[in-house]
Amino acid sequence: MVKVFERAGFPVVHMCNLVPVSTTVGANRIVPTISIPYPLGDPNTPKEEQWKLRYHRVGVALDALATPITEQTVFKVKI
Amino acid sequence: MPKSVICYINQFFAGVGGEEKAGIEPYIVEGTLGPTMAIDKALKDANVTYTIVCGDNFMGSNTEEAVDRIIKMIEDKPMDAFVAGPAFQAGRYTVACGAICKAVQEKFHVPAVTSFNEETPGVDMYKKDVVIFKGGNSAAKMRKDVPKMIGYLNKVLAGEPTLGADAEGYFARGMRKEVFLENKHENTAAARGVDMLLKKIKGEPYQTELVIPKRDVVPIADPIADLSKATVALVTSGGIVPVDNPDRIQSASATRWGRYDISKLDALPNRASNGFKTIHAGYDPAAADADPNVCVPVDAMRAYEKEGKLGHLHEYFYSTVGTGTTEGEAARMASEMIPFLKEGHVDGIILTST
Amino acid sequence: MKLEIGNIHVKDVVLGSENSFADGVLTIDKEAAISYLKGEDDHITDLDIVIAHPGDDTRIVPVIETIEPRVRMDGRTLFPGVTGDVVPAGDGELKALKDCCVTVVGKEWGSFGDGVIDMGGEGAKHTRWSEIINICLVGDTDEEFERHEQQKCNHALRWAGHRFAEWLGKIVKDVEAEDTETYVFDPILKRDAARNELPNVAIVLQPQSQMEALGYNDLWYGWDMNKFLPTYVSPTEVFDGAIISGSFMPASSKWSTYEFQNFPLIKELYKHDGVDYNFVGVIMSNLNVALEQKERSAIMVRDMAINLGVDYAIVTEEGYGNPDTDYVRCQVVLEDAGIGVVGVSNESDGRTGVGQPLVVLDEKLNALVSTGNVGELTELPACKTVIGNLEAMNRDGMSGSWGYDEVLGKSARDDGSIIMEDNNWFCGDHISGLSLKTMKEF
Repeated sequence: MVKVFERAGFPVVHMCNLVPVSTTVGANRIVPTISIPYPLGDPNTPKEEQWKLRYHRVGVALDALATPITEQTVFKVKI
Repeated sequence: MPKSVICYINQFFAGVGGEEKAGIEPYIVEGTLGPTMAIDKALKDANVTYTIVCGDNFMGSNTEEAVDRIIKMIEDKPMDAFVAGPAFQAGRYTVACGAICKAVQEKFHVPAVTSFNEETPGVDMYKKDVVIFKGGNSAAKMRKDVPKMIGYLNKVLAGEPTLGADAEGYFARGMRKEVFLENKHENTAAARGVDMLLKKIKGEPYQTELVIPKRDVVPIADPIADLSKATVALVTSGGIVPVDNPDRIQSASATRWGRYDISKLDALPNRASNGFKTIHAGYDPAAADADPNVCVPVDAMRAYEKEGKLGHLHEYFYSTVGTGTTEGEAARMASEMIPFLKEGHVDGIILTST
Repeated sequence: MKLEIGNIHVKDVVLGSENSFADGVLTIDKEAAISYLKGEDDHITDLDIVIAHPGDDTRIVPVIETIEPRVRMDGRTLFPGVTGDVVPAGDGELKALKDCCVTVVGKEWGSFGDGVIDMGGEGAKHTRWSEIINICLVGDTDEEFERHEQQKCNHALRWAGHRFAEWLGKIVKDVEAEDTETYVFDPILKRDAARNELPNVAIVLQPQSQMEALGYNDLWYGWDMNKFLPTYVSPTEVFDGAIISGSFMPASSKWSTYEFQNFPLIKELYKHDGVDYNFVGVIMSNLNVALEQKERSAIMVRDMAINLGVDYAIVTEEGYGNPDTDYVRCQVVLEDAGIGVVGVSNESDGRTGVGQPLVVLDEKLNALVSTGNVGELTELPACKTVIGNLEAMNRDGMSGSWGYDEVLGKSARDDGSIIMEDNNWFCGDHISGLSLKTMKEF
């Protein structure tokens, strides 16, 4: 999917936990998520923490869409 | 009744002429001509009923027209299979054979085969679509190349099983199928695995059962110039859908997708409040059912929209299930989403996977 | 450790009014068995025992588990932490009823991880259960919380299956074994010089542990493998019931408990032990979902292999899809550490066979055995007899079947014929090593 969107000219950021899968399928902009069943918010943590994490990583993803890159890039997240 | 096979050859093998005649337009003759006589002899319960001739340059510079005219010539004729070449090491001829075989099998759903040498441009262009036998480098190899290709075709026409690309002698198409081995101990996966290990230890040659292909990369799309004016869409392979799954997206090996209106939502409501849930069978659904925003972060996107960092969140999110779904199906679904994304003037995409 | 398994070959199984074994015929007191199993677990509301023979025109679905009936001569439980206390496994004497298995079947309801077995006809080749007598334990329970869930723990029925296997084994406790398999695993630091000169070989098992909720994953001495870290274990523990299968994972990719008890890749490694290599045991890993968990497991497997002095290894996974990440990562880190690897797994190439075979690919994977494609479609005529409920294929979200498809219709048709993905065959890809399937380019 990522490749088809990107070939059509859309910059795509792939938010996923399994970064090696993402690099294998050919995503160019990658932002890691925390797990497979709950990519953006661990239900074992308080709601506020889930929100902080999700807000932060979605922000990194938006910035990634606006960042020029020259090769497959995994963007760093802080939380 | 013997089956009907239609053949394609170029001007040189038709005996019309060499380079100076390469511009001739396609024509069709009844029965065999030149090398198609050998094909006719090798066929078991079939005959070559017609032979098409076309100049390599005419095919090369007017491919669409040439293919259309050939299709018209044969569409009213009985045909059970199509054979082009062998083209040996003749570059333009191999491309012509590949193009016409691909078009004929797509249009008429009959098997098409051809044969060229490894060092020709036609191989990479068409090996995924067409059964191309590994042929010799000159017409002197005709006596070897024709029986190989036609032996395979005889089996296909008779509905008999074939042996796979390597054993039959054609280029691998990237199409993998299960093969059931004879029921004996040395054929079990355990014996095959340990045998491979022993060979690795002893430094003896062995054949892996899955050759890892080289990685395919796409050119990087330009970044969004001004995020505060941009429209960004959310797409997910995490199977988030309205609780009644209106598009009946499958839980695994999905072939369907859906798009769901979020223009009036500040966050995705959960399964308990009759909002959204996941139907993805490949992971524990509890967290995404309790809060679908952990998979499709509508709430965070709205926050950035309100702050002005993001111009606009696209009115719909797009959803399918990634588990067991092939690259081909995923690519098809993505292409089906593209017109909607373009219509919504989407500038960039966040794709979330589980 | 030394494990001796006395084999008692079963030529037929019949249901009767008393337990006995004579001339290769196992007679089961059906009423006694049912009342024992119901008495052990009051969640079981309905239970029946049905025998299916190789060649029968019979389709069994939804199949939840297969187990080899056995008895431990010293009275210790067959599945520590499951059917009894947590006690040591891996040495001592067992007797096993060969050429048969307990097959646990849902009477009405199936789930994602359940599968299909055909005993005869064209479908028989798709699993190797069709070659042995299936003692089917068909039941229903009052586990209402998961009745309509796609993922089910199937706790009551699975535990009943393990108890039944042990109960059956006791019938032959005093029957003399026809042949004995002996598996010796000597302390690896006290092996003689001749063995120490051979290259060291280990096998890395990656059993299913993907579900974060407990109760669905494989269990190690009763311990949920989602909460497990890679550990060095004896091959005889695997054979001796230390590990049981779970309820999660598309059926064809599963390792059933029967397969653990007879793990074919480990048995094959034993054949050349002491001659071509020194078999130094099993590194038991897992298949958790988060990347960090995967990386941690891969590192720990590698470090154990390095510190054990492993020169070559087999790596095998119980699954496909996201578990491929663990499967590939583990092979890459071992190869990077100079340890030559052979990988054994199935593929997911989709219905037409043109999909990417594993979700992660790495050119360092240079010796792979492929045991099937989960996505290939199979269409088969009706069978005369169905054990279980065919409708489960349409209704309950089994991994390789569906209730609706615009082109193919539903998987289990009204006339009893079926169309489904090979995902649905119970342990059909027999990744543990029984598989007679391979993959070829066409």
